[in-house]
This record gives sequence, C-alpha cells and structure tokens, in this order.
Amino acid sequence: MTDAANVCVVGATSAVAQAAIRIWAQRGCALTLIARNASELARIAADARLRGAPHVATLLGEATDAAFINESVRSMPVPRVALVAYGSLSDSVRADSDAAYLAQELHANFVSVALWAQALAERMAAENATGGSIAVISSVAGDRGRGSNHVYGAAKAGLNAFCSGLRARMAARRVHVVTIKPGFIDSPMTAHITKKGALWATPEAVAAGIVNAIDKQRDVVYLPGFWRLIMLIIAHIPEGIFKRLKI
Amino acid sequence: MNPVSLDQPWGRGVNATHTHAFADDKPLPAQSFLPRGLGRSYGDVCVNNGGGLLHTFRRDRLLAFDDIHGVLACEAGASLADIAQALLPRGWFLPVVPGTRYVTVGGAMANDVHGKNHHLCGNFGRFVTSCQLHRSDRQVTQTVSATDAMFPWVIGGLGLSGVIREASVQMKSVPGPGIVQETKLFGGDGGIDEYLALDQDSAPWEYTVGWIDTLDPHLRGVFFRGKHCDGPDDWLAPKPARLTLPMDAPQWVLGRWSAKAFNALYYRAQSMRTAQRETIPLWQFFFPLDTVNAWNRAYGKRGFIQYQFVVPGDAARETVPRILAHLREANVASYLAVIKTFGALTSPGRMSFPMPGTTVALDIPAPNSNDLRALDRADAMVADVGGRVYPAKDARMSSAMYQRFFPHWRELEAMRDPAISSSFWRRVTATLDSKL
Repeated sequence: MTDAANVCVVGATSAVAQAAIRIWAQRGCALTLIARNASELARIAADARLRGAPHVATLLGEATDAAFINESVRSMPVPRVALVAYGSLSDSVRADSDAAYLAQELHANFVSVALWAQALAERMAAENATGGSIAVISSVAGDRGRGSNHVYGAAKAGLNAFCSGLRARMAARRVHVVTIKPGFIDSPMTAHITKKGALWATPEAVAAGIVNAIDKQRDVVYLPGFWRLIMLIIAHIPEGIFKRLKI
Repeated sequence: MNPVSLDQPWGRGVNATHTHAFADDKPLPAQSFLPRGLGRSYGDVCVNNGGGLLHTFRRDRLLAFDDIHGVLACEAGASLADIAQALLPRGWFLPVVPGTRYVTVGGAMANDVHGKNHHLCGNFGRFVTSCQLHRSDRQVTQTVSATDAMFPWVIGGLGLSGVIREASVQMKSVPGPGIVQETKLFGGDGGIDEYLALDQDSAPWEYTVGWIDTLDPHLRGVFFRGKHCDGPDDWLAPKPARLTLPMDAPQWVLGRWSAKAFNALYYRAQSMRTAQRETIPLWQFFFPLDTVNAWNRAYGKRGFIQYQFVVPGDAARETVPRILAHLREANVASYLAVIKTFGALTSPGRMSFPMPGTTVALDIPAPNSNDLRALDRADAMVADVGGRVYPAKDARMSSAMYQRFFPHWRELEAMRDPAISSSFWRRVTATLDSKL
C-alpha cells in the first residue's frame, strides 16, 4: 500500500529509520526526512535518491521542539505513511538526582512523540481521502517498568497507552496507528555493548518488520515477534518478586 | 547485509577477540585498531586479535552519481551489492566484481580485488578515481587522488594506510541485467593445455573463468565465458537468498573422499547440461554462492582456508600442473578450484596480488598439519617461478614467503598508519631481522 506514496520519517538518522527509508526509496516513495544533524541528513537524503526515491525533502530541526513539530507537519506534503523513529536511551542513575534531566527525557521519549503522532494523524485525517498510517517506535521496555530503566520504560509505557487511544480515536477517520515494540537492536546507539546474544536484532530486520506492519495494517507488533512471549512472561511476574529482580 | 561474525574472517579457522567500534565522524580510536568492512576476507587480513576493529559497514550511503560520466561517490562501507542494485536500473554496473557482492568498496580497494574480466580490465583499484582517507596521525580527512603518492598504498594496502571514508568509482555502462554465458568442458587428456587453449580463444569475451577438479590428474574442468546483454526487468534486482545454512556441517563429511565425490558430481552435472549457451541474470553469473546465506558453514566449525596463487605468464603451463600434482600427491582435499588467466594491465596499487599469468584458488576444509606442510612447499614452488600468494585469502603463509612475494612490504610498513595493524600484518612482517 505504500507504493509511490508520500512517506515522512521523523528521526531519519536512527539506524532503523535509515533501513526503513531504503525500503521505501526502493519502492519509489517520495520522502520527507526530519532530523537535527545536517550533514547526516544530507547523506541519507542523497542515498535515498540514488536508491530510487523520486523526491526527497529534508527538514532540519529538533524533533522534541513543539513549535518545530507544528511547523513541520503543517508544511510537509501530506504524508500517506509516517514513521516516528527517534528516542533517547535515558540514564536512570542520572535521573535519580537530576530532576531537569528526568523531565527532559520524559518529554523526548513521550510528550514530543505524542505531539508528532497527534499532529500527523490530524493532517492525514483532514487531507487524505483514504487516510494514512502512522508507525510509532516504542519499546518492549514500555510493557513493565524495570529498576534499571524506569524513566525510559515509563515514557514508552505512556506512549503505548497514547498510541492505543489514538488508534481508537482515529479508526473511524481511516488513520491507522501501529505501535512498534522492538527489543534489543544492534545499532550504533548500542555499540558499546559488546556481548550480544540471540536476542539482538539488526536494524534491517526491524525496519522490514515495521514496513510489513504498515502494509498489513497491524496494531501492535513486537520485533522480532518472540518478544511478545518474553514480555508476556515478564508482565506476569508478581510485583513482590519483580521488585527484587535486578533487571 | 551484516557480517556473519564480527570477530572471525569468512574462512572461520581464525579465532580472535576484539573490542568493537562502529566508524562514525568521531576521532579514530586511540588504541590499535583495524578498519573492517563486511569481513569477507578468508583469513586474518580482516582480523586484529587482541586489538580493536573499526566496523565500516554502517557507513554505506551512496552520495552522488554522475549519469553522464558514470562516476559514483559513496561511503566506503557501501557494499557492491547495494551499488549494483541501485545503479543497474540506470544501465550501470561495477567495473570489477569478485565472487561475492557482499564486500564493501573500502574492502575492495584495500584488497584490490579482481574478477572474471581481469584479462581485459585489470583490478578494482584501476577504477577508483579518488578517496577520502582518515589517518590517526593527521587531524583531518584528506582527499587522495589517483596521482597522489599515498594512493598506491591505499589500493591493495590491506587497510593499513588509513581508514577509507569515501571513494569515487568509475562505473561501467551495460546493456542490461543479463549475461550471455557459454559453457565448455575441458580435460580429456589435454590437461592444462585444453584450458589454456580455451582461454586464448575466449580473449574477446569480457568474462572468463574455469572450474577445475584438482584431484583429477587430467585436470578436467568447466570453462565459462560471458558478456553483458539485456534481460527482463525482474532481473534488475537479485532474487533473495534461497537458503540460509542454519548450522555447521559435521566435520566427518569434509574429507578427501567427499571432495572427490563432490567434484565428480559437479563435473557430471555440468556435462549433462544441455544448454552450451544461455542467457542468465548477471547475479547468477557473478555471484553463484551468494544465493546461500552463510555458505561458509558448509565447511564446518573448523572452517576452511583458501589457497590462491598466481604464477607468471609462460610458467603457467608447466608450473600449475606441477603444484596441483604436488598437492594431490600430498593428499590435500580440495573442492572444485577456480582457474583464471590474468591480463597485463597493471594496478595503481603497489601491493596488489595479480600479475600477468595464471591464478588458481583452492578451498581446503580444516587443514591439518600435513596440509599445511604441503602448502608451505607449494609456496616455495610459487616463489621459485616469481609468483605470489593472495593475502586476502591467506591465514598461514610464512613471513619469509610473504616477503619474497611482496618485496615492497617495507614501504607499506613505512606508510602504515601507526595506530592500524592486523593479525595478518604482524604475522607476515615478523622477521628475524632485529631492526624490526
């Protein structure tokens, strides 16, 4: 369904976003790419053009900035598909004693992402006769708050609830919202972790899963799929035991 | 495409541990490191045991393409697979490709790879017009063009002369995604002569290569020649890999008798093919093994080595059969080997492997001490006629032999980035000479 459509990617420099952009470029989609790193964004745009995107526009700015979000969504060609792909791996230890940091991380991983999703959904519903699809990258971390990851997990949990509600609000207006819950991704963001086992997925595999979830109008996808089972188990550990686990 | 292993080379026999980093815009690592692309080198040229690896395969953006002159600018981590897929619909293909498309441009430059068109076009390095080189001893990334003094040490420099960030490559205009392929059997009683005659007859063909059964005293084999042609649009992209090997083959299937049986079966299958001339997708012609992901697992956990040597022009007729007879008599198991005659075009790289003459590449599963002794003896036979052995595939040659094959090695050592090293380089430059 995304053949030759307008596709918008927020957070275009992330490894998963870059892999998804390549899939859409090869399909001949016109792209609007949004990121804050000018030189990286220019390279990604050039790459997308050479791989088959007939038109690539770039918007340079801070994805967490509300004014930038409004202006971007208003000015871009109305997208048929949108992917919101940025995030920040919050440092729980720093958040323990730095309230400003805690607030900033919640804003980056939840509030600003919700603003993008809401604005994109409204624009698609208002201007596309056939609606559209919005994929929001959340995380398995949102399924339960863990001690090692409480700020990031809480933001993603909020995002999961927001997407679930937005999906219901927009269903009648033909805008499809899919919550993407990846597990561990082997990317430059996690390059410092050297011991990577079978649970780690490549950005290419996750991106293929996202594009597939959009094509098939899925609602919530775990990537890879085995995470659904893992999180089912983790979600059912009694809190009295869970709070003692060092995970 | 991601590397199958971040620590091992494609041949797997080398065990190593590394600290890993991904190439980005930040300063180069301070400790010893080695830039590495997709890790398709067979031996330890892509290994830096105990040190760091700087992975470049995520710096793989295509940056610009000049449709008129056919020059592509890309990041050095871009794979030949991605480049071919992006540019084939526009009527352009890579000027030189090795037997797999899963190598990076940086790796193709550092090993100055060759392909089935060497007799007409020479090495990959001849088509690199310039590159961006980042050295740890200089603060900025520098442009190195084909006329610069550094260039001959980047091309074929095994990654030692700096991190290649970007490159410009002259692509080749092609009529479409097809190859007209002709297949001919050789090796009644004529042995190597039949191969050489076929090769000579085929000189106008753009691509030539032979598969030989080195376990057969007559050196029977199959000769392939091909040239570009048009084809249907669904040939523009490769078919997805049909199979991923999920596990390692058990070691007992990999002996000499299996090799004999495999070679006989392959030869028979080729001889029963009815089409002597056919049009096939170029992916199938150039990269037959890429249809199986992780095919190196077929050689088992202990892996395999590839032994590729070249002997100069006139020596081939006599030397190639002599070396292969030596390996056969020493009971070295070898699956179907590749034979190719190189042309006279020289590469800008000073350390490049090809020379005008004949090259043979053999796969040897899990070599034992007997195999390794036999290969040492083969090295000496190669050296005696002025040939050399291919570093990109090597995991075992002695430093003495390497230094005979590549007498300019001290110049590369002088041009080497002081922070960059590899297991291969430490091995082949180890010397009794106390000055080093």
